[in-house]
Amino acid sequence: MNALVLLSIILFALMAVIGGKKGVRSFVALFINFVVLLTTVLVMTDPSADPIILTLIACTIISCINLFYINDVNKKTKTAFVSTMLTTLLLLLFIYIVTERSLIQGFGEEEVEGLTIFSFYIGIDFVKVAASVVIMSTIGAVTDEAISISSPMYEIHRHHPTISKKDLFLAGMSIGKDLLGTSANTLFFAFFGGYIALLVRFKDMNYSLGEIINAKVFSAEIITILCGGIGVALIIPITAAITSYVLVRSE
Amino acid sequence: MNWVVNKLRGISLKQRIFLVMLFVTLIASFIFVYQNHAFYDQPIVEVVEVTSEDREEVEDTNQNQDVVYTQHLVSELKNGEQKGELVYFTNDYSESSAHHPQLRVGQDVFITVDSRDSDGNLTGSIIEVKRDHILLIVTWVFIFVLLLVGRRQGFYAIIGLVVNALLISYALDVYIHTSDISLLLIMSITVILMTVLSLLFVSGFTEKTYAAIVATLLGTFGLLFITIFALWLTNEQGIRYEEMAFLTRPPEAVFMAGVLVGALGAVMDVGVTIASSLFGLYEKNHQISVKDLKASGYEIGKDIMGTMTNILFFAYVSGTIPSLILYFKNAATLEYTLSMNLSLELTRALAGGIGIVLTIPIGIYTTIFFINRKRSNI
Repeated sequence: MNALVLLSIILFALMAVIGGKKGVRSFVALFINFVVLLTTVLVMTDPSADPIILTLIACTIISCINLFYINDVNKKTKTAFVSTMLTTLLLLLFIYIVTERSLIQGFGEEEVEGLTIFSFYIGIDFVKVAASVVIMSTIGAVTDEAISISSPMYEIHRHHPTISKKDLFLAGMSIGKDLLGTSANTLFFAFFGGYIALLVRFKDMNYSLGEIINAKVFSAEIITILCGGIGVALIIPITAAITSYVLVRSE
Repeated sequence: MNWVVNKLRGISLKQRIFLVMLFVTLIASFIFVYQNHAFYDQPIVEVVEVTSEDREEVEDTNQNQDVVYTQHLVSELKNGEQKGELVYFTNDYSESSAHHPQLRVGQDVFITVDSRDSDGNLTGSIIEVKRDHILLIVTWVFIFVLLLVGRRQGFYAIIGLVVNALLISYALDVYIHTSDISLLLIMSITVILMTVLSLLFVSGFTEKTYAAIVATLLGTFGLLFITIFALWLTNEQGIRYEEMAFLTRPPEAVFMAGVLVGALGAVMDVGVTIASSLFGLYEKNHQISVKDLKASGYEIGKDIMGTMTNILFFAYVSGTIPSLILYFKNAATLEYTLSMNLSLELTRALAGGIGIVLTIPIGIYTTIFFINRKRSNI
């Protein structure tokens, strides 16, 4: 049997046993997300399609799945959705500028070595693809944090309906701050895990510090890590502001 | 202006010293990174003029259309003995810039200086673009956003990132310089160290921390064991190590080390969430029954398992988008493209997901054990 199939079966069984119905739904969401990602990439191969716009559409669908399908459509998830989209837009703008300046788009020398049989003149704008990669890497973490902040804020408002907008905002900020460390950690370790092979190579080939820092592959990965950190931090005030605005205004 | 003054009045002396130090470091680092050419051994030039640009429309064997440009550039050496001399070189890039980027005036570039041409001008060829100043800018944006939003917690997150990165880097040094110790063993020790340090740092020497540490370690090594067992059972069928072919070392070991480290953050997150919420319930009501604790633990677990597995999935799989596009545009079949590019990433994501879900019951039982121990001590 295929190893991936066996691992999928183990994951599905664990999720179903431990998470029940919600566990099964989480597994299905994972699968749908995979299909969405793959479809996005397939559409991106059309030179007339703009990778940035495709990324925004994909992020919208993915956050809908993560928020509305795994959870429910309600005030909490709706505000989390709006906050996610706003953060994604801001982050995308920042990342696009950074990519353009740092020239990290496309493949580094280390990667090209293994791809010599391929043509690199494929007519797709890789600056935009690079920005898309960074955004997609963090979308999971950003939606997770949005719902983890808006949901307890909603509870606070339910228990203290007279709370002022400012106090509710501050409560949201304090919840977010507590989450910041662990969310950033989750993302950082995931990236580290993916980059170990590259680090081994750099160390094996005796790259100097200067060579490592300026190498395209390394810069691209550091920028991904840092932008991920910026994303999980930025979502906190945005979610706190939007949720407190929506909840207190609707009184 | 008044607002700034009032804000500054409201902060303590300690914070003021911290801000001043931060500001001084910021200025110093920018001065350094824009003047550091002398510290590099490789010759660096700054592009001063793009003399001409040839344009050619190309179509590859798969009917992909692109435009290839050849830039003729004049640049000035910024370091070395020939500092200040002009160097002439060319740069090929395509509109898609999938390999080499377009160079603009003012860009710093690492080059090799070749011989002089018939006119006596120095010629060279490009090696790599200088990117350190952009990395510095992004690093400072990262530091400021985290400090502004998270204050103390933001500061801890930055410290955690740096310490963990250094520990992993050090562990790899040990592995490379002592060829006879297995990488998995070294990484396991590093994982234990990072877990203990990170969790103690977050919540100090408390029963809650001990519960989170035990749950995280059991969860992480549990997922490692399950993954190794599953790969062994299926004879690693469907796993393509070709994308790690550039390694001069056994890819299996390096990959497994990546699985272990990659899932650690997520597993730690689950361990901490379960431990602190169950301890929170116990603090509110010391008489709470084990049955209620278990029920609440599973409720929390259900809520987090979906989003946590998603975080790992996107963090791993998104990185393959550029090579997926490259394969598709070179007329590779869907099956070949997916198995070559995604098998390792999907294995990582699935293994991480198994770790996350596994840590939920492990976390619940470990925390209940520590709560019971605390109860019997009273």
